Amino acid sequence: MTHLLVMILFAVMVSLIFGLVARDTSRERLFYGLKVFAEFMGIGLALAWLLYFLPL
Amino acid sequence: MAFKETRGITETHLTTTAHAWWMGIAGWLVPGAGHFLQGRWARGLVIGGVICGMFAIGLLFGGHLFGIGGQEEGTNSLLQLPPMIANLGTGILYLICWVSNSGFSDAAEYARKATFEYGNTFLLVAGLLNYLAMLDAFDIAAGRKP
Repeated sequence: MTHLLVMILFAVMVSLIFGLVARDTSRERLFYGLKVFAEFMGIGLALAWLLYFLPL
Repeated sequence: MAFKETRGITETHLTTTAHAWWMGIAGWLVPGAGHFLQGRWARGLVIGGVICGMFAIGLLFGGHLFGIGGQEEGTNSLLQLPPMIANLGTGILYLICWVSNSGFSDAAEYARKATFEYGNTFLLVAGLLNYLAMLDAFDIAAGRKP
């Protein structure tokens, strides 16, 4: 399993729980869950590219 | 009459609070149970599935659970406390592993796996997410959330 797949799996699971417990209506939960998932993926990929250019 | 009304309100409040606490405890002990017992079947099922899934994936990835009373001595054992509290959030899953003494080993065969740290993260986050779900079940039972 690649690092990306693990990250996607982790983001999906955490977003599901965040979406379920953080809002009141089904519509709000759906959008909040999608937003959290997008943030996980976006920030994760951005940090990955940033670290790629750093001489570590 | 006024006394009875006041007393009635107080008793109702106490009953609700006790009910909420029981729902919170149930939600901690069995992931999703706090929602299940309140008729939130779908949410309970998703929460239970996700928490148990993350726990299983964490162990499959080679992660290990944290506990006090290992090989660490003195104040070093205190460093195990925060991750242990996070792991303890998985409730009965952690307790089963603790009783059967499985999942706590961080031997080289596990640490060698490329997914070892991912496993630890999945196990820690599973517990923390269940604490969130537990608080949600408490809030629903206390009437703070729909």
